[in-house]
Amino acid sequence: MSMDHAAAPTRQSALSRYRLLWGQTPQSFRIGLVILLVHLIVAATGPLWAPYGYSQMGTGIPLSGASWEHPFGVDQLGRDVFSRVVHGSHIVILLSLSGTALGLVVGAVLGLLSGYLGGWFDNLLQRLLEALISIPFLVLALIAIASAGPELSGNPILVVLVVALVYAPRIARMARAAAMDIATRDYVTVARLRGESAWSVMRRELLPNATGVLLVEFALRAGYAPVLVGSLGFLGFGLRPPTPEWGLMISENRALIIITPITVLGPGLALASLVVGLNLFTEGLARILGRTVRLGAQ
Amino acid sequence: MPILRLVAGRILLSIVTLLIVSLIIFGVLEVLPGDVATRILGRDATPEALELLRAKLGLNDPAPLRYLHWLGGLLSGDFGQSLVSSRPVTDILAPRIYNTVLLSAYAFLLYLPLTIVPALIQAIRRDRPVDHGLSIVTLVLLSMPDFLLATMLLFTFVVLVPVLPAISLVDHSSDAMDYLRAMTLPALTLAIVMAVYAVRMLRDNLIEVLDSDYVRMAELKGLSARRVLLRHALPNALVPTLNVTALNLAYLVGGVVVVEKVFSYPGFGSLLVDSLQLRDLPVIEATVMIAALVYVGANLIADVAAVLLNPRLRTA
Repeated sequence: MSMDHAAAPTRQSALSRYRLLWGQTPQSFRIGLVILLVHLIVAATGPLWAPYGYSQMGTGIPLSGASWEHPFGVDQLGRDVFSRVVHGSHIVILLSLSGTALGLVVGAVLGLLSGYLGGWFDNLLQRLLEALISIPFLVLALIAIASAGPELSGNPILVVLVVALVYAPRIARMARAAAMDIATRDYVTVARLRGESAWSVMRRELLPNATGVLLVEFALRAGYAPVLVGSLGFLGFGLRPPTPEWGLMISENRALIIITPITVLGPGLALASLVVGLNLFTEGLARILGRTVRLGAQ
Repeated sequence: MPILRLVAGRILLSIVTLLIVSLIIFGVLEVLPGDVATRILGRDATPEALELLRAKLGLNDPAPLRYLHWLGGLLSGDFGQSLVSSRPVTDILAPRIYNTVLLSAYAFLLYLPLTIVPALIQAIRRDRPVDHGLSIVTLVLLSMPDFLLATMLLFTFVVLVPVLPAISLVDHSSDAMDYLRAMTLPALTLAIVMAVYAVRMLRDNLIEVLDSDYVRMAELKGLSARRVLLRHALPNALVPTLNVTALNLAYLVGGVVVVEKVFSYPGFGSLLVDSLQLRDLPVIEATVMIAALVYVGANLIADVAAVLLNPRLRTA
């Protein structure tokens, strides 16, 4: 590290170093990153160039199928499905990422503290997390939404909280295992003997050394979050119409799949390609960090 | 017998977990939302109607007492009465559970060949185009939400090649053929979702085993490639996959919720979604408890099987 700083790299050498690094990354990482970038660009800029508004009706003949003007067809209300998919992109990505990030923060803090402290706190927390994991995640998400009540249903913040609730226990389990391993190292013992509080040991010793585990865990969970958000929308427990969330759109257009299959395949392609990109990225990231990861967040 | 003690300990832990699950479910559905009666009947309900429902649900008792009463009912097999139809929850649940068990059994039957055949092909043709192609297919299927996969299968077998019904309605009057036709698409969806996880694992295991010394030995003895693969490599590669299969059973409990809803199959999962929409609390609570029971049971089996198959874990 100190060598790199001392060399004071010029712009040129920095560029070539990045190119060298890029060349060493696994292929899955590169393909995943490219797919992700495309999705992120669409999410960030989509509302500027989407041909129509997401709830604009009368854009074409309803159910007229795919054409140059309407690549994903027109739904039964006369809305352009391609525009709706583009407008929905940032919704799906924002909800997924913020839900996973919240779950990561809560799960990491609980898991690291639990693994470091042990004792009754660890025991109690483990039983609670074990119980939360024992409820199939979609079922847990559904009863959490049911409990929040009709006033909050369809609220994006509720969806974010539910994604976090589903993921936090699973992330905490990984973080706990990492913390129990790190806690045996000498530098943690030294920190404890210095009289540092558990919170400070967690923040300064455990967290930096668990970054790799947590990063892969975040990517893995984020990869499944769009599916969870979509499943909730599909079942009618997520966002409300006319929000252009992809799962909701698939559910809305499904009844007319016989007439215009493209109105279902379009949002389906968007959703599947986002998840493929995230999964490839995760697999590559895990390989770069020297970890193994089993895709599919069951 | 240390192994018996280990298994007994695991069972005890599972029971504790289920007790906490029951506390969570009761707390989330009946304590957190405030006044449950208003929640069920809506804001426009008359005070009389609210009072009647409170009396019917026993909502005037303190929460801990209600919890114990509910738990006692669960343990003695009395799940209470549906708020919507006033029928006993057990009567509503029984045919739904029967349908879902049938569906799951069918899905498992399809799951076995869907796992073993692609994994064998990939292992034999390792690093060839077929292997890479199948890897891409499993990755895409892995990334595809189950409701999307279900919709695509529906589109393929109902619209493109119309051989199967779009809606999987069955009841007590349906004969075996009706059931088979109705269950094929939902079962195929569940089987594919489960198989993609197992295929990727079985392929890696097979390749590892094919490189091992005893497989080399079997080849050197002059056994046919077929015999080496099926009698020597496959059984050993299947052992780690058993764990995934038990976890797949756990997936099924959640998976049926979406898949049954897509095909309108009258099983346990669509019952949960319907009762959530109707806010039929006793039915919701019963279905979630059963889902957790199956999930915990499947994980218990996976753990115990892992210990039995791998003696090194027994000391842990």
